[in-house]
Amino acid sequence: MLVAIAFVALILFGMPIGFAIGMAGVVGLIEMGGTQFLAIGPSKIFNGLNIFPFLAMPFFILAGEIMNDIGITDRLVKLANVLVGRFRGGLAHTNMLASVFFAGLTGSATADAAAFGRTLVPAMVKEGYKRDYACAVTAAGSIIGPTIPPSGLMVVYGSLMGVSIAGLFSAGVLPGLAICVICMAVIAIGGKRENLPKSMRGATPREIWDTFVSSLTALTMPVIILGGILGGIVTPTEAASIAVAYAMFIGIFVYRTLTLRSFYGMLVRTARITGVIFVIIAFAGILGWWMSFERIPQAIASAVLGISDNRYAVIAIIICLLLVVGMVMDITAILIILGPVLVPLTEQVGLEPIHAGIIFVLALNISLMTPPVGACLFVLSSVTGEKLERISIKLFPFLIAEIVILFVFAFWEDAALLLPRYLGFAG
Amino acid sequence: DGGVIKFGHDNKTDPFENPAHACTAVFSNLVSAGTNGAVTVEVFGSNQLGTAAEHVQQVRDGILQATLTSTGALASYYPRIDVLNLPFAFANNEATYKVFDGDFGKTLAKDIEDTLGDVVVLGFPDTGGFFAVTNSKHKISELQDFDGIRVRTMTLPSHQKIMQALGAEAYPLAWGEVYSGLQTGVIDGQMNPVPIISFANFAEVQKYMTLTNHLFSPYTFMINRAFYEGLSDSERATVRSAAENCVTASRGLSRIIEASDRGLAGLKDKIEVTALTAEQRAAMAAATQPVFEAHVSEDLDAKAAELLALFKTAVQGANADSYLN
Amino acid sequence: MRNWAGKASGRINAAVEAIVAALMLLLVLDVWLGVMDRYFFHWQLPWPEELARYLMIWAAMLAVSSGISRREHIGLTAFLHKLPKPIRRALLIAMDLLSLALFAYVLWYGVPFANGGATRQAMIFGASLRPFYAAIPAAAAVASVQIALVLLRDLGTHIEEIPEEGLL
Ligand code: NA
Ligand code: NA
Repeated sequence: MLVAIAFVALILFGMPIGFAIGMAGVVGLIEMGGTQFLAIGPSKIFNGLNIFPFLAMPFFILAGEIMNDIGITDRLVKLANVLVGRFRGGLAHTNMLASVFFAGLTGSATADAAAFGRTLVPAMVKEGYKRDYACAVTAAGSIIGPTIPPSGLMVVYGSLMGVSIAGLFSAGVLPGLAICVICMAVIAIGGKRENLPKSMRGATPREIWDTFVSSLTALTMPVIILGGILGGIVTPTEAASIAVAYAMFIGIFVYRTLTLRSFYGMLVRTARITGVIFVIIAFAGILGWWMSFERIPQAIASAVLGISDNRYAVIAIIICLLLVVGMVMDITAILIILGPVLVPLTEQVGLEPIHAGIIFVLALNISLMTPPVGACLFVLSSVTGEKLERISIKLFPFLIAEIVILFVFAFWEDAALLLPRYLGFAG
Repeated sequence: DGGVIKFGHDNKTDPFENPAHACTAVFSNLVSAGTNGAVTVEVFGSNQLGTAAEHVQQVRDGILQATLTSTGALASYYPRIDVLNLPFAFANNEATYKVFDGDFGKTLAKDIEDTLGDVVVLGFPDTGGFFAVTNSKHKISELQDFDGIRVRTMTLPSHQKIMQALGAEAYPLAWGEVYSGLQTGVIDGQMNPVPIISFANFAEVQKYMTLTNHLFSPYTFMINRAFYEGLSDSERATVRSAAENCVTASRGLSRIIEASDRGLAGLKDKIEVTALTAEQRAAMAAATQPVFEAHVSEDLDAKAAELLALFKTAVQGANADSYLN
Repeated sequence: MRNWAGKASGRINAAVEAIVAALMLLLVLDVWLGVMDRYFFHWQLPWPEELARYLMIWAAMLAVSSGISRREHIGLTAFLHKLPKPIRRALLIAMDLLSLALFAYVLWYGVPFANGGATRQAMIFGASLRPFYAAIPAAAAVASVQIALVLLRDLGTHIEEIPEEGLL
């Protein structure tokens, strides 16, 4: 209780959220009594970050920095503009579609948010979008990345819960596309009210062709990353390092605009953005440890079954629980702490393991963009300088739309398991 | 007297799912029954409180009272545990029971206790049996078949050297990337105990599995020394006896999993399984054991070489021994 | 005093950022080497994966102090903006002091944590874990110094300049 009060008070009074999580954790450790508990902090910080796939975050941020600096982004944006810019909110639509394309290259929402926050958000602002709206669109699209395979969270889920990872991957495709479609609908419906910009006339085929040619180097990038993964050269995490290599190659040898001085600045900025995100993960490790030790997750689980043991009620409660806890905790931590408690509940009410898995992954991904502690919001706020609460307000319609999609796939088993069944992963 | 044993391990908290929780469940039951509730056990599974290596530190610091730790996680505290990685040592499962329950087990436990200073070792439960090698290139049935196969290993020099001595290429890769690495062909194969291969769904992305049985890597069951010494004599006796039953349960469940559709029986439909003949296995032992012994004498200390000699003697004795005969 | 603190914070940060940039560069090269090794060289190096994690932790944790110097760690400000200026400033100073206490705590327990790594072996280079664990107390020390300096520099005024619409 004391921990919760401390946490809320500190956040309201403007303490950086990562630090507030840390303070809440330390209050918990003090409450336990005994210096041996306080001594655990540094170990939780170190081990909370000692995870190789986290590398994808700084690397995709760095690749985004380089692409932005050498002008790859500008060319992509120009191409997007000649293709769909004539519609109202064309660049917002492009952002969504780009997220689907990017999803095949990235396994994490934060990597997507970082890359597009660095590239498409400035481009959208340049085109006349409000920055908070541009951030909201990017945040909404960023969860397509870890929903459509590959997905880091599915790998963690699959290996923790013993569920087929390939099965989870196949189950992610439809919800990922559905999220894209519904978010584009939200953009179209809200386009007039938000007064989204559009260009005055359509482009001629000649203009489209010229823009296409000039952005070929940029368009090749995803092909190279995807080729690197599918060709068995790099792992999904290492693929981010290929993105860096390719962007550097273009910057040095093709465009010849990348200088040592600017590269130094990019390295520093990348580290700083990573530090802002990692300090949250690090301190969440302390808070999560305290919660586990006090058996708070188990208390939650028994409370859930106390309410109802109806299948749909339990699914709904689990989803709400994940979304709420996701507001204040890191999602990998949630999966590790709550997964072993909640997944057996889904078995008790007769859910297919892959179906339960996709519900968990979707809910946790959505919680990446719920304030106050949504990692994607942090990344976007940190790379764009936009205020978190302003992004959250613009994000609201997208959030509702995505939660609707989540419930559709949670309650409609045939849709959720369509692909897994077709491919033989589910009965 | 009495108290609560907070017990951390890194597996799911279902006693029929994995040997670690079978072991802790049996231990918990027998301890609370045997002390009439004076000592109880609270189990924290699924790495809730940290990685296996963190559990060891938490037991040493008295935050947790007990844990089951893998040899890989123990190695950073007690590098001599590497001696157990002597490849192609054991002829069968029973030999592992005899070695770790016998004089060698006692010597090893004592050495771990003396080195760490703040723990007591209560046994060496089964983690799921022998290691097998899977790959997607071709069937491995003899030594030459390892040539050029790129195998993922843990970041453990001895494991890497064993694979290299077989003729394979060995690359450390983060656990979270193994599945997709195997799927896309970043690496060709990996090695793990059969239940882990089954549990991680590697059969979906691998074509061949060879029952090399080249490694056996038990858990180390350790309890905080100050806590243990604070128990009464009869409570300590109960804890010891419960620990022995915990080890037995881990072995029983490991064999059952191997026989069920979560083990070999289930994998056979999804992956081509090859068993080695005695001659093929002897050739692999001859290729790897000298390399491993050189590694122990070069990279570990003199006491490790002594421990290895003891281990080899114990294993030979256990291999030669046959049940009730 | 406020000027002096601001300058000191800037100088220390410039040095830290140079180190962080070097670590980031090493990190990129290390991961590339791992890929090249597997694909071209076949040296089967045992260390790129483990080293990458340690470099990442050192770089990111050190950079936390840089984010402090530049006030880039995000918090909610909506509630604060509803409060009268003196209360708001007092609260922000209090939050800085509490943040300082937090990092002082990490430093205090981080030193024995890092020293505990001395008796533990890393799987690579046969080295002990101390130089890698040292990232935590070292980063906490620099962060503590930076919080103290920016506290003096800003004295609770730092959320008063609201960025302009569309500024990027
Ligand atoms: Na993806
Ligand atoms: Na997007």
